[in-house]
Amino acid sequence: MESRRAFLAAGAGGLAALAGCTALGGGDGGGEGDGRGGGSDDGTGAASPTGTSTGTPGALGGHPAAAGIDDQPTLGPAPTEATATIVAFEDPSCTLCRRFERNTFPTLRADYVEPGDLSFVYRCYPVVYPWGEPAVQALESTFAASESAFWALKDHYYAEQDAFGTENVFERTGTFLAEETEVDAASVVEDARNGRHDAAVQADIEAARAAEAGGQTPIFYLFRDGAFRTKVQGPQGADVFAAALEL
Amino acid sequence: MGVGTRVVRRLPARRADWRLMGRTARLVLGGPGYALLALLTAFAGLSLFVLSLNTALAGFALAGDLALGARLRVLVGLYPFVGSAYGPLQGTLLVLVSLLLGVDVSMATYHFREHRVTVEASGASALGVLLATLGAGCAACGVPILLGVLSLLGIPSAALLLPFDGLEFAALAAVVLVLSIHWLADGMRGGEIRGCPVDL
Repeated sequence: MESRRAFLAAGAGGLAALAGCTALGGGDGGGEGDGRGGGSDDGTGAASPTGTSTGTPGALGGHPAAAGIDDQPTLGPAPTEATATIVAFEDPSCTLCRRFERNTFPTLRADYVEPGDLSFVYRCYPVVYPWGEPAVQALESTFAASESAFWALKDHYYAEQDAFGTENVFERTGTFLAEETEVDAASVVEDARNGRHDAAVQADIEAARAAEAGGQTPIFYLFRDGAFRTKVQGPQGADVFAAALEL
Repeated sequence: MGVGTRVVRRLPARRADWRLMGRTARLVLGGPGYALLALLTAFAGLSLFVLSLNTALAGFALAGDLALGARLRVLVGLYPFVGSAYGPLQGTLLVLVSLLLGVDVSMATYHFREHRVTVEASGASALGVLLATLGAGCAACGVPILLGVLSLLGIPSAALLLPFDGLEFAALAAVVLVLSIHWLADGMRGGEIRGCPVDL
């Protein structure tokens, strides 16, 4: 009897310690943002070192997830012109993000992005494994050099996720960029090591926090006709996104 | 007798314990009312698990400006094996926990109606439900949260292997629910269910 009570007490204690798990996911992301985010300093759409936005002020209803959205890596039509927009916060080291990229993203891209019905915006939110932090520095530095190289590197991170760790992120990133893209790999990696585009990373993190993303990835903010619709957590299927956006 | 020995004696360590659990569950669920209760509870539990992950989306699907077909597509797509949010392992684990919850609640209800249910068994059932909900909720947030909790315990995140992508709580919930079912079955030992002896 006592042993069972001790077991239950221990379980209750554990639950109390872990209660933050559900508490972190709160909020509907409907708060007001300041419209600031990563800005472009070179005309390529890359984020500026100051983190100031050159994008459309108050885009997508001024939702905080959309702060500086014009300066973010985007597939499909511009978010301010698209029928529907998904703003995704992902971590390259996140296994659930990998599942989204493998199972859901290809369908969204083929069925809705490429026909021009959906704008897909990728924002970095490194909150899972430690190697995600240098990886997003590399992503932002790559984006500053070439948007196509950015998408290729993003795909590479998810495709080879198990091979990455904090000790080899920059080395493997440099190798991939040199072999598979046209960018100056050494320069990009040097920028990433020095955090040259850290302002863009911080702008994404700030946008996620302002949108009450919590400590979770992937998380998506869905917009239709310029207005916020809902927040989606986890690697849901393409049909869930299409239905929620009525595509 | 030490505490450890007493704990071990209360665990379903013998084959006879598992046979007793199976026989008791089968006898209880042989009643159509209790079988229906188990199914409804399992479905409610699964719904709680998956919808708690996406409260904003579930709320939008239920109350937002959407056509009926779109509402159903969103809601149905959140469940394991229908949508893609859960892999086969995670989906199986969630369904297993839901079914265990259904069996557990059905047995507890029977025991409560026919006998005096023990505080320990009902407490374990409640703990199982809480852990299962946490486990489902942690399908999305579990990895970062687990890493945070474990790092507080001095375990480096790089050394961690989380095979269920954060559903470790759900696995723990399955264990707690099995224990609860075991204690319920043990509590019914010596009695009869619909005229059949519980003892093997």
